[in-house]
Amino acid sequence: MIRTNVTAYAQVNATTRALYANLLTPDVWHALIQAANFDALLTLLDKTAYSPFLKLDRQLLTPRRTVYQLRWHLTHDYEKLIRLTPEPACQLILQLWRLYEVDNLKATLRGVETGASWDEVRRLLSPMVRYITVNNETIQRMLASGSVVRAIERLRHTPYYETLIHALTRYEMEKNLFPLEVALDLDYRRGLWEAIQSLKGTDRDQALRLVGTSIDVDNLLWAMRYRLYHHLSVQEIINYTMPFGYQVRDEHIRALAEGADMVTIVKRIYPHIEGLDDTGPQSREEPPSPQRQLALIERALHRHIIRLCHKSFLGDPFHVGVQVAYLMLLEYELRDLTAIVEAKAAQLPSEKLTAILESEWW
Amino acid sequence: MFKPQAMNKVELIIPEHEVVRTTEALAASGIFHHIPTAPLTIGIPSRGIDEWQTWTTELVALERRILMVMEELRIDEGPPPATPPHIIEPRVAERDIERLEHEAEAPIRDLEAARRRLTQLQKYVNQLAPIADLDVDLGMLRDLRYTFVMLGSIPVTNIERLESSLEHIPCVLITLRHEGHLATVVLFGLQQDAAVLNRAARSAYLNPLILPEDYRGTPSQAIAALQAGIERTREHIAEYEMEIARLQEMRVRHLRHLLWRVRASHALAHTITGYNHFQHTYLVTGWVPAASLPTLEQTIGRVSDKVVIEVIKPREEDIEHIPALLKNPPILKGFEGLVTTYGQPGYEELDPTPIMALTFPLVFGLMFGDIGHGLVLLLAGLLLAGRKIRALSGMAGFGVVIALCGGIATIFGVLYGSLFGFEDVLTALWFRPLEDINKVLLFAVAVGIVLLSAGMLYNMLNAALSRHWGHFLFNHNGLAGLIFYWSLIGLGARTFGVAIPIPGTVLVLTAVIGGIGLTFAEFFERLVERRRPLFEEGMGTYIAMAFFELFETLIGLFSNTLSYVRMGAFAVAHGALSMVVFIIAESVGNASSVGYWIVVILGNLFVIGFEGMIVGIQTLRLEYYELFSKFFSGGGTPYRPLSLVPRQGQLGASESTGG
Repeated sequence: MIRTNVTAYAQVNATTRALYANLLTPDVWHALIQAANFDALLTLLDKTAYSPFLKLDRQLLTPRRTVYQLRWHLTHDYEKLIRLTPEPACQLILQLWRLYEVDNLKATLRGVETGASWDEVRRLLSPMVRYITVNNETIQRMLASGSVVRAIERLRHTPYYETLIHALTRYEMEKNLFPLEVALDLDYRRGLWEAIQSLKGTDRDQALRLVGTSIDVDNLLWAMRYRLYHHLSVQEIINYTMPFGYQVRDEHIRALAEGADMVTIVKRIYPHIEGLDDTGPQSREEPPSPQRQLALIERALHRHIIRLCHKSFLGDPFHVGVQVAYLMLLEYELRDLTAIVEAKAAQLPSEKLTAILESEWW
Repeated sequence: MFKPQAMNKVELIIPEHEVVRTTEALAASGIFHHIPTAPLTIGIPSRGIDEWQTWTTELVALERRILMVMEELRIDEGPPPATPPHIIEPRVAERDIERLEHEAEAPIRDLEAARRRLTQLQKYVNQLAPIADLDVDLGMLRDLRYTFVMLGSIPVTNIERLESSLEHIPCVLITLRHEGHLATVVLFGLQQDAAVLNRAARSAYLNPLILPEDYRGTPSQAIAALQAGIERTREHIAEYEMEIARLQEMRVRHLRHLLWRVRASHALAHTITGYNHFQHTYLVTGWVPAASLPTLEQTIGRVSDKVVIEVIKPREEDIEHIPALLKNPPILKGFEGLVTTYGQPGYEELDPTPIMALTFPLVFGLMFGDIGHGLVLLLAGLLLAGRKIRALSGMAGFGVVIALCGGIATIFGVLYGSLFGFEDVLTALWFRPLEDINKVLLFAVAVGIVLLSAGMLYNMLNAALSRHWGHFLFNHNGLAGLIFYWSLIGLGARTFGVAIPIPGTVLVLTAVIGGIGLTFAEFFERLVERRRPLFEEGMGTYIAMAFFELFETLIGLFSNTLSYVRMGAFAVAHGALSMVVFIIAESVGNASSVGYWIVVILGNLFVIGFEGMIVGIQTLRLEYYELFSKFFSGGGTPYRPLSLVPRQGQLGASESTGG
C-alpha cells in the first residue's frame, strides 16, 4: 500500500510542495498589510505568485476585478492538482472544487433575483473553466431567464437540479433564497462526506482530519449563526446542519441549538484550541457580546484548520492530505488577500487589518 | 499550380468617416488578407478604436441574447448568408432583440409553467397512491382538532435528520413509499405542537401535499381529479408548443438574419480594432494576390476616392509572414486538404499538392489492387464528388481522392488479376502478389526509391527557387544527398548481381564525394551562403557531430527506403485477407449456397471498409513521414481573406485568465 501511494503521489506531491513554497511569506504579508494604498498593494502583489494573473491594464484593476483575478491562481492550482492527483483521491479534490461551483450558483441565483446582468455578476463568480458541471453559458442563461424558477430549469441535467427543484417549493412559498442556498450547501457537504468515506487508509485518515474538521467547523458556525442571527428553533437548527462530522456530534449541535455557551461547547470538542478569549481593549471591563464571541470563535476555529493544514506537510507525504492542505491554505490566503484588497480600497488603517484576517503568519 | 500565387503588400489610408464602407468593401472583395497591427500610438488611448471595442463587447452580448431566443424557439443558426449582411448598430439591434425576447417570453414561460404543473400533478398522484384506499376526506385531515397530520414528500437523506430533530417532541413519522431521492411520508403529532412540527418539517424540506381546490375529497377522488388535471395540462402543453412552433415559423428568417447581421457587425468592429488609428484616418495593412490588385483598386475606388492605396513589393523580411494562396484546380482540392493537414506551404515553397495527387493514388492502388474493390471505391468517390450523397456533401473534395485511389486500385487489380478477391477468374496481366511475394516487395522498394528521389529533387527545386544554393548542394536531401543515395543504391545493386553500366570505382568515388559533402554539409552551406562563423560551436565539436550526422543520414536513407516495403506487404495482405473471406465462406456452405455468398459479400465489404481505411492511413503515413520530410517544412501562413461572415468559433473572446 505504501509503495503504491509513493508511486501514485510522487509527482503530485512534488508539485504540491513547489506550490506550497509559493504561498505568501510572513515578510510579504507584513508588506501587504503595511502597503500605503491600493496601488502600492498591487505593485507588491505583482512580485508574488499572483503576478501572472494581474497582467492587466492598471485602470481595469478595480478592487472587485483584482479579487477576481487573484482567484485565478486558485483555479489554476485546483485544475493542476485535479489532473495530477490519482484516483480515487482525485474525487475528493473534485468535490472540494465543486464548492466554488455551488458558491457561483448561489451568487447567480442572487443575481437572478435582483435582475443583475451577466456583466454585473461575472466578476463576483469564482473563475472556473475545467472540471465543472455548470459553465458560464448556463450561468448566462440563468441570468437571462428572468426568474429563479426559470433559472433553476436551466440547471436540468446538472447534479444540482433535483436538490433545487425540491427546495423550490419553499422558495415559492417564502420568496426567500435561504432555503435554496441551505439545500445547496447541505447537498454539497453530503457529497464531500461521501467522497471522504470512499477513501481508504492514510488518504481517508488525512481527509477526515482536514476536510472532516472543516465540515465540523462549518457545522458549529452554522448552528451558532442560526441561533444568534436567525433565531431559529432547535429543530430547525438541527435540520439545517449536518448529521455527520469528524469530531462534532449531534449532542454538540443540539446543545448549541438549545442555547448552551458557545465557548464551552467549542472547548469540549477542541480542548487545546487558542484564541477564544477576547484580547481587545474592553475585554477586562465587560464580557464580549455574543456576536463578538462568535467572531472570536470563528477566527480561532479557522486558525485551528490552518495549523492542521501546515502540519500535513510534516511526516509521511504520500497521501491526499498534502493536496487538500495546500488548497485549503490557498483558499485562506485568498480570503485574507480579499480582506486586504477591500481594506486598502476603503483606506482602512493597517492596524485594524490584522484583527480581521484569518491567518496569523505575520 | 506548383507555387503559391504572388502577393503584394497593401497599405490603405482610410478617412475616419469612410472606414465602415471601406472595410465592408474589403470584405466583399474576398481578396484582402488583413494583418491586425499593434497601435503605433502606444499608450495613448485611441477614441476611435475604443468605440469599436465597445461595439465588439456589446455585439458579443447581443449575439448571445439572440442565440438564447433562438434556442428557446428551437431555431438553428442556418447556413451563413450568401451575401454579407448589412451592418447594424448595437443599440438598433438591441431594440429588435428586446422585441423578439418579449414576443417569445410569454409562450415559453407558459409552456415551462405547464410542464412544471404537470410534474407537480404527477407527483401528487404518486404521493396519494399509497393512501388511495383511505376513505377519508383529505381536507378533514388538515383540520383535525387534536391530531396534527402532514402528508408530503421529503428527500430521503433528510428523514433521519428530521426524526432526530423531533426526538423530544411526541410524534410519529411514517415513510409510505420511496421514489428516487424522494420519499412520501406522513407525520403525525399533537395539534398543540403544530407550530414546532411545521417549522421542523419545513426545515427538513418536507413539502406538504397541499392540493389545489379542484382536487379535494377522498384520496381516490383526488387522484381521479388529478388525472383529469394531468390530461388538461397535457392539452395546454400541446397548445403552447403549437404557439411556439407558429412563432418559430414566423420568426425563423428574421432571427437568423439578425444573428448574421450582428455577427457581421461584430466581425467588422473586431477588424477595425486591428487597424491603426490616427487623428482622422485609419491605416490598414494586408496582403492581396498580385493579380487581384486591380480588382481591389476598382472595388475601393467605387466606394470612395479618398482612400489612398499604397502597394509595397514583398521584402526579404516579409517572406516568412506572407500568406500562401495555393492555386490548384478544383479537382485537386481534396489533396490540398491532405497537404494542409500536414502543414501550410510557405510563400516561397513549392506546393506539394501536385506530387501528392500523383503519388497518393499510386501508393494506395499498389497496396489495394483489386478490380472490384477499386470500382466500388471509384463509384463511392464519384458519388461523393458529385455531391450525390447530401449528408456527405461537405466531403465532395475528398471524393476525388477516393475516386482516383479506386481508379488506380482497379488498374492494379487488372495487373494482379484480382476481382472481389477471386484470384482465379481473371488472368493476371503482370503477376499475383500472393504467388510472387519477392517480386512485389522489390517492386515496392523500387517505387520507394523513385519517390524518395523525387522528394529530394523537389527539395533541390525549393532551395533553388529561394536561392539557398548551399542547401541545394549540400543538404542531406540536396544534391550531395541524392548522389550519395544513388551511389549506394548502385553499389548495393552490383553486390546483388544487377548489371549496372557504371563501373564500381566510379560509384565508390561518387559515394565518397557525396559522403564528404554530407559530413561537412553545414560548413559548406555556410561557406557558399557566406554565413559566419563557419563552425558555430568550434571545429572539434563540429567534426565529432558531423560523423554522427552522416551515420544518421545513412540510417535514415536506409530506413526510409525500407519503409516502402510495406506497400508490397499490404498488397500481399490484401490478397490474403480476401483468401480468408473465401475460407470462411466455404466453411458456411458451398458456392451454390446462399450463406456462401452472404459471407463473400459481407467479407468484401469488410475488406473494402476496414482494409481500405488501413491502407489509406499507411499511404498517408508514407506521404507525410517518408516523402514530405524530404522537402516540405509546412510552416507557412494560410491565406484568409477578410470576411464579415465569420466561420463558427472564429470570433468571440475566450476566457483564459480573465484578461
